[in-house]
Parts: sequence; structure tokens; C-alpha cells
Amino acid sequence: MKLFDDVIKEVRALLPDFPDKAEYFEERLCAESGDKNALLFRSDTAFELGGSGKHAVESTMFTSFSEPEDEVLLFGKDLEEITEDVSFAHLTFIQLKEQSEENLHYEQLKNIGFSVFQLYPKGYHIRISPSAGREQVKVSKEALKRNPPLSFMNIGCSLIRLLKTQDDVAYVKTVFITCPDVDYPALAALARKAKRITDAVQKTLQLDELDCAACKMKPICDEVEGLRELHFQKEKERKNHAT
Amino acid sequence: MNTIIFAFAGKGGVGKTSLSAAFIRILSEAYPEKRILAVDADPAVGLSTALNMEPTLTLDDIRLKIAESIEKGDTSDAIELLSEARFHLQDCITESGNISFLAIGRPEAAGCYCKVNAYLKQVIETISENFDYVVIDGEAGIEQINRRVMENITYLILVSDSSRKGIQVISTIHDVSKRLTSCKKTGIIFNRVRAGFAPSAISEAAPVLAVVGDDSEQAENDMQGESVFNLAADSPLFCGAKAALSALIGEDLT
Repeated sequence: MKLFDDVIKEVRALLPDFPDKAEYFEERLCAESGDKNALLFRSDTAFELGGSGKHAVESTMFTSFSEPEDEVLLFGKDLEEITEDVSFAHLTFIQLKEQSEENLHYEQLKNIGFSVFQLYPKGYHIRISPSAGREQVKVSKEALKRNPPLSFMNIGCSLIRLLKTQDDVAYVKTVFITCPDVDYPALAALARKAKRITDAVQKTLQLDELDCAACKMKPICDEVEGLRELHFQKEKERKNHAT
Repeated sequence: MNTIIFAFAGKGGVGKTSLSAAFIRILSEAYPEKRILAVDADPAVGLSTALNMEPTLTLDDIRLKIAESIEKGDTSDAIELLSEARFHLQDCITESGNISFLAIGRPEAAGCYCKVNAYLKQVIETISENFDYVVIDGEAGIEQINRRVMENITYLILVSDSSRKGIQVISTIHDVSKRLTSCKKTGIIFNRVRAGFAPSAISEAAPVLAVVGDDSEQAENDMQGESVFNLAADSPLFCGAKAALSALIGEDLT
């Protein structure tokens, strides 16, 4: 899917040239699972990524990779090096299987997007506001005392494993950013744009007929190359199917 | 975790909030290693003052945020709404020592938000699992029992003064709770009663846990907006609350 490629290029331009850490997916690196309803109390919390009003950006985008690999990247300090609440971004790029792209369905995209809400690593308490595009994470003191301590590589591998339980997912790259000098407001703006693209794609796939003139997604369809084509292609497929 | 949930109900002005706060203090001091969640389900929001724990956000603030986004045409799926509610819920919880405080707030908006309310109820239930004890200071009257907000409770504590109206209210709540809640045990605390008061026929339906007389120190504390933690441990309110709690859980805390 190339709909997000321009946004991804802009994201890439905001990040340093090289990550501080990078690991290909390995099952043994996955974090231990925790209780999905567990609360982390203040006395047990080491710090909160995106806490104390700091930036906290979350986004999931679909793309095609030049080097198809499952990979975790970190720009900035890892968990054991962080001592206080810091600005944070977590971006995930997903490549769908070729046949899934050709027969794209609303439910597939929705289920893939929802996977990020189902990740509950022990000692890494994620909370996501879909409306604000924020992901904040409380990290427990206990998780940092482990040997070895919990790291972004563990979390990233767990997310990749979770996403790859979806039949349509071919490859996943997940990127954690804790650098203090990254332009987080610009990243947040790009995340909002990516969310609008996802919403527009989902609407195109979900509804039987769309009146572009009355649709609130029109501005994003006008801006992002490929959305209109997807819309008309799906409408044509539906009409052919009906006759 | 096997969470024990205490819920207080009764007519307005009979001292539910003071007794809820006293229960919370007793539990907090008797079991410092246990986690206690104090839920202010009374729109009058008095428990925060009684515990000196000020919330920055209430559950109703979250309900309104989500309801507003639905009104604006955001057709988010259930899982997104639940994630949204969970995100904000953590900002609603104020912590002090082993006590966490959560306020329901004042539901003032018109219209039906059953979908949002159902999510919030689910979120509260799952949050409760993190605590050893949950103490709910209920709204005056019967509505929260009727609407099954207080459905899964362990102990229902009916609070009344010596007035006929107060006793009628707890009698009605008791009847309804038998049908609509799954509580393990119900008991009555008569509060602010004068010397010579004899518990009436209602006490045949549920045991009287304590009879608390006029407590001038508590009345003064209340007027000054002071925390229940400033009350003397031998005050009538505190002694009555200890006797009631001991009777409910079967441990001598007096």
C-alpha cells in the first residue's frame, strides 16, 4: 500500500539518520505478558513515557518495505537509561501480504489496527487515546530491576509477534523514539494525517456508496494520491459483483 | 485478586460520606500493605473533602468527552472507545499512600449515553480488580441500585438517622437490593441518633451493625471541611464505624 508513503517520507526526515538500536524480530526477545487489567500504582512506577504533559505520539501506517524484514528500531535512550518522564513516540509500519492488498476488506484493516490495543507486557503499562493519537506508557520499577532489564526491543518484538498473528500481515517495523531533540509536534501532525488516511480507507471499504461531495473525508482524499482510485476501484468491484 | 466491595446507601444527610471515609481510614490503617479504592459515587462529591484527596478529572468528565466525540460524528468502534476510557481513567485516579480515589462526578448532560455508560461501568469493574478493598460512597436514594451501578458488591451498608423517612428509604433500598444486587451481606448503621433510640422493625430484615450517637467533634470537622484523618480515634463516628466493619468482615478492629 502506497497511500502512506509520502507521510512516511516526512516522518523519516524528522528522525536522525541512524537509530541508536536496531534488532530483527526474535521470538526469544519478546517481553513476558502481563495482566491486561493491571494498574501500576505511583509508588511502583519508575517513570511514564509521555507523562507529565510531555509529547506522546502513536501511529500505525501501512506501506511496502524495500527490505522486507520484521524489525525494531530505537531512536534515543532505552528504558533502563531513562530516569524521568520523557517525550515519546511509537510508530508502527505494516506491510500487508500481496493478496491481502488486492482483496482489501474493512474488517482486515480494522482488526490489524486494533492489535495495538491488545499488547500487555508485564511492567510496561500502555494507554492509548485513539482520538488524540497519544500513547503513554508507565514503566514499573520492577521491570527495570530484572536481569536483563525490560527494553524497547522486548516490547517491539512482542508487538511484531502479536501483529503477525493476523493473516494479512507480511512484515512489521516498529519504531520507538525518546530523543529529546526530535520535532514531536511535527510527528504528531503526521500521525493525525495518517489517522485521517486510515479513516478514509476504512470508509471507502466499509460503505456501499459514497457521495464525495457530502463526505467529510473529501479533503484527505483530495490530498493523498491513491485514495480516490481505491474508492472508485472498490465501487466498481461492488457494482460488478451486484450485476 | 479477591476484591471486597463495601457500598454505602441511604437517604441524603444521614452521614454516608463520613462513614465511608471512616471505613477507608480504618482499612488503610489496619492493613497498610493492602490497596484500597475509594469511589465517590455521590454527585455531591463530598468524599474527596472527607479524605482530603482532590480529583483532577471525574468519570463524568470522561463520559462527556466520549459522548461529545460521538455527537461530532466520530463512529469509533467499541474497542477504541474502551481504549479512550481507559486512557483517561488513569488521570481520574488520585493516590495517597495505599488509598486511591475515584470520583463519578455530576452527570448533568441530557440525553442517553447508555453505550458510553456501559463502557465506563466495565472499566470501573476491571479497575476494581487491582484493589483489595473498594469502598463506594453511594448517591442518596435508590437510583444507583435501580440502575445496577452497584450490582456486584460484597457488603451493602444501609445508613439511616432516626427519622421515619430515613428508615423508609433504607427499607426500600434493602428490598430492591435483594432483587438487583448480588451482595453477600447487608447491615444497617443508625447514625446521628439521640440517646434512647431503639432500632425499629427494619432491623429484623438486616442486622444492625452499629448505632452512632451525635458526634460533635465530627460535626465540627465536617463544618470546617477537614479530613476524617483528623478525627480522634475514639470519636463516636470512628468507634461506630470500627464496630460495623468488624461485624461485617468477622475480624476485631476495635
